[in-house]
Amino acid sequence: MTAFTINGRVVDVDAAQDTPLLWVIREHLQLTGTKFGCGIAQCGACTVHIDGAPTRSCVTWLEDVAGREVTTIEGLSPDASHPLQKAWIDEQVPQCGYCQSGQLMQAAALLESNPNPTREQIIEHMDGNICRCGTYVRVISAIQRAAREA
Amino acid sequence: MPLLLSRRAFLLTGAALGGTALVAAVGGVGYLALVDVDGLDGYVDGDRAVLNAFLTIHEDGRVVVNVPRTEMGQGIHTGLAMVVAEELDIPFDDRISVEFPVEPLPAYASWFNVLQQRPEEASGPVVWIGRRVLGLLGFIATGASASTMALWYPMRLAGAAARQMLLAAGAARLGVPVNQLTTADGFVRHEASGQSLSYGELAREASVLPPPNDPPLKPASDWRLIGRSQPRVDLPAKIRGEPVFGMDVVQPGLLYASIRHAPVFGAQVARVVNEAEVRTVAGVRDVAIIDGRQVAVVAESWWRAEQAAQRLDIEWAQTDGDGINSAEMSARLQAALGSDAPYENINDGDVEASIANSSMSVIEKTYEVPFLTHACMEPMNATVIVREDGTAEAWVPSQSPLGVRTGVQRGTEWGSVEPTSITCNITMNGGAFGRRGDLDVAAQAAFLATRHRGRPVKLIWSREEDVGRGLYRSHAAARLRAVLGPDGLPSAYDALVAAQSVIESVAGRNLPFNPGPDGDRLTVEGGDKLHYAIPNRRIRSQHVASHVPIGLWRSNGFSFNTFFTESFIDECALAAGRDPLDYRRALLRNSPRHLTVLNRVAEMAGWGSAMAPGRGRGIAIEECYRSVVAQVAEVTVGEDGVVTVDRVFCAIDVGMVINPDAVIAQMEGGIAFGVTAALMSSITLESGAVVESNFHDFPMLRLANAPEIEVTIVDSGLPPGGAGEPGIVPIAGAIANALQAATGRRIRSLPLTTTETIAERRTRTVLPTSAV
Repeated sequence: MTAFTINGRVVDVDAAQDTPLLWVIREHLQLTGTKFGCGIAQCGACTVHIDGAPTRSCVTWLEDVAGREVTTIEGLSPDASHPLQKAWIDEQVPQCGYCQSGQLMQAAALLESNPNPTREQIIEHMDGNICRCGTYVRVISAIQRAAREA
Repeated sequence: MPLLLSRRAFLLTGAALGGTALVAAVGGVGYLALVDVDGLDGYVDGDRAVLNAFLTIHEDGRVVVNVPRTEMGQGIHTGLAMVVAEELDIPFDDRISVEFPVEPLPAYASWFNVLQQRPEEASGPVVWIGRRVLGLLGFIATGASASTMALWYPMRLAGAAARQMLLAAGAARLGVPVNQLTTADGFVRHEASGQSLSYGELAREASVLPPPNDPPLKPASDWRLIGRSQPRVDLPAKIRGEPVFGMDVVQPGLLYASIRHAPVFGAQVARVVNEAEVRTVAGVRDVAIIDGRQVAVVAESWWRAEQAAQRLDIEWAQTDGDGINSAEMSARLQAALGSDAPYENINDGDVEASIANSSMSVIEKTYEVPFLTHACMEPMNATVIVREDGTAEAWVPSQSPLGVRTGVQRGTEWGSVEPTSITCNITMNGGAFGRRGDLDVAAQAAFLATRHRGRPVKLIWSREEDVGRGLYRSHAAARLRAVLGPDGLPSAYDALVAAQSVIESVAGRNLPFNPGPDGDRLTVEGGDKLHYAIPNRRIRSQHVASHVPIGLWRSNGFSFNTFFTESFIDECALAAGRDPLDYRRALLRNSPRHLTVLNRVAEMAGWGSAMAPGRGRGIAIEECYRSVVAQVAEVTVGEDGVVTVDRVFCAIDVGMVINPDAVIAQMEGGIAFGVTAALMSSITLESGAVVESNFHDFPMLRLANAPEIEVTIVDSGLPPGGAGEPGIVPIAGAIANALQAATGRRIRSLPLTTTETIAERRTRTVLPTSAV
């Protein structure tokens, strides 16, 4: 059994220590907002926060999060009121939406540490998150809007 | 749910008896013909009233719109809900929700995709029979950028008819003539008495009234929604991680499966060497050979299944494809371009004589593109249960419920089970791009489900299976020839396209019949340049067989042919000493629609203004999916030879626009998809197998390289065209033409370059692309 906190709730998971956090979140805890995209930390669809830091959950093992705080898209805000979530609607960012949980979690970590990022800083921070639908121009606009309006 | 009801049966019987009015109703283009006869009668079910195949109203005023097309990011659920809301006269707010209907009613059939007749114009016996047959087959598919063209008119009728029925119910309830009533914001109002009744209050009475055949549609001048950007109905859930993609389906007792396909396509499983050992891995429930061609591991979690699958030691039988590499594939394309008996798709005028009699030298160029994969962000998956009572149910992020149904039939047949019924649930999907119309994943999951009766099995392909064992966009090559007349414009144009037929490959996997490769219009689409005024024109195609399975891929033949032809037209312009924009204007002199779009994009891009050394600007235009799209790409070639697409300007005439922001988003996304294909990715073969396996070696556009994009919608007032695919179509040609402008060199194969080659090729300072 491995205990950690997820979205403010303490859970005790009965899974092998070498299970990726991604599959613990999706299958054991049935929080399916965090997505499987590549399995090798190449796309960012599985991004969650661990103690506030954006982390690829597909290459993070269960044993690595024992006693730590994990936040997923479901825990980003109680009522979709995070400035990024609002900006994502205002800019109509998602298309298929599959990568967007990861995009939002990655962006949220940026604004947490840097409330007014430059365009270059946004690009550098977000470059690891692939969107096959090509929502990139709107991702940038929405982060800029969230920074402006937060 | 009632499927065949009295009114429909009556009408069909009446038609059979020869009643001419009824024949008109059934065969025409009114509400009864397009929605009611092929849909269902209204009925009441608890607190909800089903008014027709597309519309349900709850007592509390919530409205559910049935959209029988897959939402895969293109915004179709929003666009079609908008047209219903427009005619129904309700606000476009969160009281509207959209569902993909489970019942495959004939009214939902994708007959437009086959018959190529707009519903508002379709008539005649061929269309009548085609609609009947495709409807009864349950042919429902999302693709070919066709959803708006196919459904915007029937769904407007559905909304308008429901409004008439609500008005009639209101008149009955209030005891006043219907012509004294109006509707607004979801209410029926009687101005004289000040009374009003909500749709929720009236819906149940309305649903059982006889529907009108030709409900009046709002004139465009009264539209409040159509043509004005509305927020997407699916986005509030998507920013919370809430939508249930196929990947996210949870059912009681769920089992998970991972799969291994043969590295060399088509190889049979000879033996699973360590099957017994893999079966003993903790959590593993089953090791199964599917159709002799794949091996799956079923376990209590997907991670366990995948871990065990990684340990599989499989011996594959030898095949004819074993020794094939990319060089051999390329050689086959080139050999096909020398074919002496290609299929003749179009032959207008006399190309051979024009070329033979011309005193000008023939311009002849050859172009080539590689195989590509879809790489949808959501890997392939399907969840299927075969219950003890013989019923089957599937949850698949598919583009086609018929594909799912056929897949489940096939998979259960492999397991010697004949389901008594098959229910197909189409989930939200994480990108499709043509990949998700195939039945393959549903068939595999269904077979596994027959081995675990009573438990749903969710099959998920790893990313490596997705990239390396996919259904690819065909590699292709073309030899284009032209002779120029005295005015410098082509007097003869001759195209020969070599590719593997997507129709033959898709039909072979999915259909009981196969039209074969000859005449596959997807091989030559974009190659004919019919909109250009060229008096003598021929286009021919040569099918190139291989062991690689080919799939539909966003924009299909346009994805390569428009690159070929728009590059070639630029080469002709250069040979004629003409500016590429000016040259196209001359070729489009008889096509005002195209000319408008071309001029608009040139204006947006400031065509002709000077550019810095190492930078260039290129233009391309295409007519596709009944839309006309033109793009200008601006590129920079760095000192290190790295090509960057800095900005793309896009003008699109998509006809009548329902939701402008969704069209803009599709252009933005299409351009990103096309830049990936033009600059970054290819699928290569070594010893018969695909080399690439994941996003590290099948790279795609990332944010740092994403161009700025400016889109303008050109309003031609024509009926709606398609928007899902046109955005991709011109971009590769525009980039190639920009590279020519930047470097003075022409690149004729994709991906356009590696850093090394462009560095070698960049030899001179670049002049402005035009003196216009």
